[in-house]
Amino acid sequence: MDLTFTEREQAFREELREWFARNDPGQEPESDEDLHFKWRRDFQARLAADGLAAVHWPPEYGGRGASVTESAIFFEELGRSGAPLPANVLGLLLAGPTIMLWGSDRQKERYLAPILSGEEIWCQGFSEPDAGSDLASLKTRAVKEGGEWVISGQKVWTSGAQYSKWCMLVARSDPSAPKHRGLTYFLMDMEQDGVQVRPLRQITGSPEFNELFIDGARVPAENVLGGEGNGWKVALTTLMNERAGLAFFLQVRLRQLLDRLIAQAAASGAIEQPLVAARLGELQMRAEILRLTAYRGLTATEKYGQPGPEGSLTKWMWSQTNQELTQFAVDLIGPEALAEGNPWAYELLRARGNSIEGGTTEVLKNIVAERVLGLPKSR
Amino acid sequence: MDFDLSDQQKEIKSVAHDLLTERSTFAKVRACAEERRYDEQLWRELVELGWTGIAVGEEHGGGGLGMVELAVLLEELGYACAAVPFLGSAVSAAALAAETIDAGGELLATLVSGERRAAVGLPSMAADGAGAGLAIVIDGGRALLMREPQVEEVATVDPTRSYARVSGGAQSALGAAARGRVLIALAAELVGVCQRALDMTLAYVKERRQFDVPVGSFQAVSHRCAEMFRFTESARSATYYAAWAADAAEEAIAEASALAAAAAIEAGREVTAGAIQMHGGIGFTWEADVHWLYKRAQLDCALLGPLKGHQVALGELAAQRLAAAR
Ligand SMILES: Cc1cc2nc3c(=O)[nH]c(=O)nc-3n(C[C@H](O)[C@H](O)[C@H](O)COP(=O)(O)OP(=O)(O)OC[C@H]3O[C@@H](n4cnc5c(N)ncnc54)[C@H](O)[C@@H]3O)c2cc1C
Repeated sequence: MDLTFTEREQAFREELREWFARNDPGQEPESDEDLHFKWRRDFQARLAADGLAAVHWPPEYGGRGASVTESAIFFEELGRSGAPLPANVLGLLLAGPTIMLWGSDRQKERYLAPILSGEEIWCQGFSEPDAGSDLASLKTRAVKEGGEWVISGQKVWTSGAQYSKWCMLVARSDPSAPKHRGLTYFLMDMEQDGVQVRPLRQITGSPEFNELFIDGARVPAENVLGGEGNGWKVALTTLMNERAGLAFFLQVRLRQLLDRLIAQAAASGAIEQPLVAARLGELQMRAEILRLTAYRGLTATEKYGQPGPEGSLTKWMWSQTNQELTQFAVDLIGPEALAEGNPWAYELLRARGNSIEGGTTEVLKNIVAERVLGLPKSR
Repeated sequence: MDFDLSDQQKEIKSVAHDLLTERSTFAKVRACAEERRYDEQLWRELVELGWTGIAVGEEHGGGGLGMVELAVLLEELGYACAAVPFLGSAVSAAALAAETIDAGGELLATLVSGERRAAVGLPSMAADGAGAGLAIVIDGGRALLMREPQVEEVATVDPTRSYARVSGGAQSALGAAARGRVLIALAAELVGVCQRALDMTLAYVKERRQFDVPVGSFQAVSHRCAEMFRFTESARSATYYAAWAADAAEEAIAEASALAAAAAIEAGREVTAGAIQMHGGIGFTWEADVHWLYKRAQLDCALLGPLKGHQVALGELAAQRLAAAR
C-alpha cells in the first residue's frame, strides 16, 4: 500500500497545473444554455489541440495512454483549475471506449478523432418511455432493408441530443429472440429527417435532455457496433464506463461544490457554530470516503483489470452526498439560496437527478446485493 | 499510487484469519464472556507469534512493520470478537514506538513480551483494563500516558473484554502520533466487527425462508445488506488510508484518524444494528452470536468519542486547508 503518487504521476500533475494556469477558460456564461455549451466545447478544443482531451485514450487514437490513476489526476486538476468539463463528455467517456472495444478498424478510424476534438458530439439513446431500469425490454425497432437498417421508435431523457451529431442507439433487431438477445447497437446519424429531437424541460427549468422521435431513420449496415444481436453486451460496456469512468469526473465536481460551501461558511463566520462545522465535517467525511473508495477502485483496475466490489458503490455514494450537500447549502445560506437564478437553487434541483440518471440508486442496490453480496434475485 | 494491501499484508491478514477461525470460535468467545475472563492461552500464543510488537522496531524486540499491519491484525481480531487483551497492549506499543518518550524502550520491551498489559481508550472507560500496568488515554484533543495507573474495572455490556476507569499514576502528555494510533486501532477493530456482522447476516438471509422464499430476496432486506456493505467499505477505505498515513504521511495523521474514527463509528453502529434486525427474533437472543458484535461495536464507538466531535474537526481542518490555499 502506498498512496503517494509516483514521480511520473507527480510530473504529469505538474504539467497539467502549468497547462491549466496558461489556459484560462474565461468567464462562465451563466444563464444561456447554448452559450454555456459553446464555452465547454471551445475549451475542449483547446484541450484536444494539446493532446489533453482524453488522456486515458491510447496514443494511436489521440490520447496519451495515461493510466487510470493519471486520468484521475487529470480530472482532479481540471476541477482544481475551475475549468469546465469537456462538452463531449458522453463521447469521451462512453462512446469512445465502447467503440475502441467493439469497433472495426474503419469505425475507430472514422469516429474517434472528432469525438476528441469535440467536432462531433455524442448522445446516448438507451432509455425509452417504457424501458428505463428494465432497459432490455426496449421496443425501438430496427428492420434490415437491403444494405441498411430502418429504425422506428421513441427514446427519452436523451441528454445533449440537441447538440449531437451521433447517437449510441440500442434497438430491437429481432423481436422473436429472448429479450437480451434481440438487441443491436447502432451508431446513428442524428442529422436526418427520420430523427426529431424535442427538448424536455427538467425540473431545473432548462432542457438538458430530450425526447427522440425516430421514424424510419436510416442507418447503414456498417454502422452496427459489435455485431447484429450483440447489442446488450455492447450496451453493458457503455453502462460500465458510465458508472466507473464517470466516478472521478463527478467526484471532482462534488469537491468543487463542497469547497465553495466551506469557503462561504468560513467567510461569513458561520463555521464558528458547532452545528455548522459538524454538518460541513460530515459532508467532508463523505466526500473523502468517496475519493478514497474511488482510489481503491483505480488500484484494482490497474492491478486486476477491473474495479473490485467497492467499485459498485461510488456512483451511489456520489449521488447521495451531492444531494445532502446541496440541501445543506440551502440551510446554510438561507432562503435566498432558493431565489431563481441563485446557483445553489440550480444545484439543489439538478442533484435530484443524480440518483436517477445512469441507473437509479434502487437498481444499484440490487446490483450490489445480487452481484457483489450474492443474495437471491430480488422481488 | 497503490491503494491495496501488499502481498505480505494480505498474507498476514489471511494467516490471522485462519488462525482465529480455528482458535477463537464463538463457542470460545461465549465461554470467556460468560465467565468474564480472557482466553489466556490464545493471548500467550499471539504474543509468541509476535503480534503484540508488529508495529514496534526490531531493536525493541518488535516485528519492524507498521500501522497497516497492526490494523489488519486488529481487523481480524475484531472479526473473531476475540477475548484477548491484545488491543490495549499492541496499540500502546505502537503508540510509544512512534513517540520519543520511551526512547530507551523499557516500556516497549515489556509490552511486546506480554509482561506488562496496557489499557487504551478514555480515562472514564479504557479497554483491556484488567491488570493494566500502563494506560494510554485520549483526553480531549491530546493523548496521555499513565504509568502504573489506578485501575477500577467496570462491567460493561461487552463481556468479551475487560474495561476500566483509569486515573493517577505517573502521567505524561503524548503527541498526535499516539492519539492518532489509538483512534486508528479502534477503527480497524470496528471494520472487522462490521465485516463479521455483514457475513453472518448474508449467510442467514440466504438460508432463512419466509413466504416460501429466502428472506434475502426481499428488497427491504437486500437493500439493507447493500447499505451495510457500503458502511463497511467506507470505514475500510478511511481506516486503511489513516493507517497508511500513520506510517508514511505523519503530517496527515490528525485529519486521517478523525476521518477513520468518524467512518468507523457510523459503520459500527449501523452495521451491527442491521445485523440484529435482519436476523429477526433469533438475533435478539443471547443464544445467537450477533449480539457480541453489537456490544463490542458499542464500546469501541463510545471509546472513539462522539461522532460529531470528529466531524467538527474534519470541517475545521478542511476550512483551514482552503484558507491556506488561497
Ligand atoms: C438527468 C438525467 C439524464 C439522463 N440522461 C440519459 C441519457 O442521456 N440517455 C439515456 O438513455 N437515458 C438517460 N436518462 C434516463 C435514466 O437512465 C433513467 O431515467 C433511469 O434508468 C430510470 O429509468 P426510468 O426513468 O424509466 O424509471 P423506472 O425504471 O420506471 O423507475 C421508477 C422507480 O422505480 C424504481 N425501480 C425500478 N425498477 C426497480 C427494481 N428492479 N427494484 C427496485 N426499484 C426499482 C426506480 O428506482 C425508480 O425509483 C437520464 C435520466 C436523468 C434523470
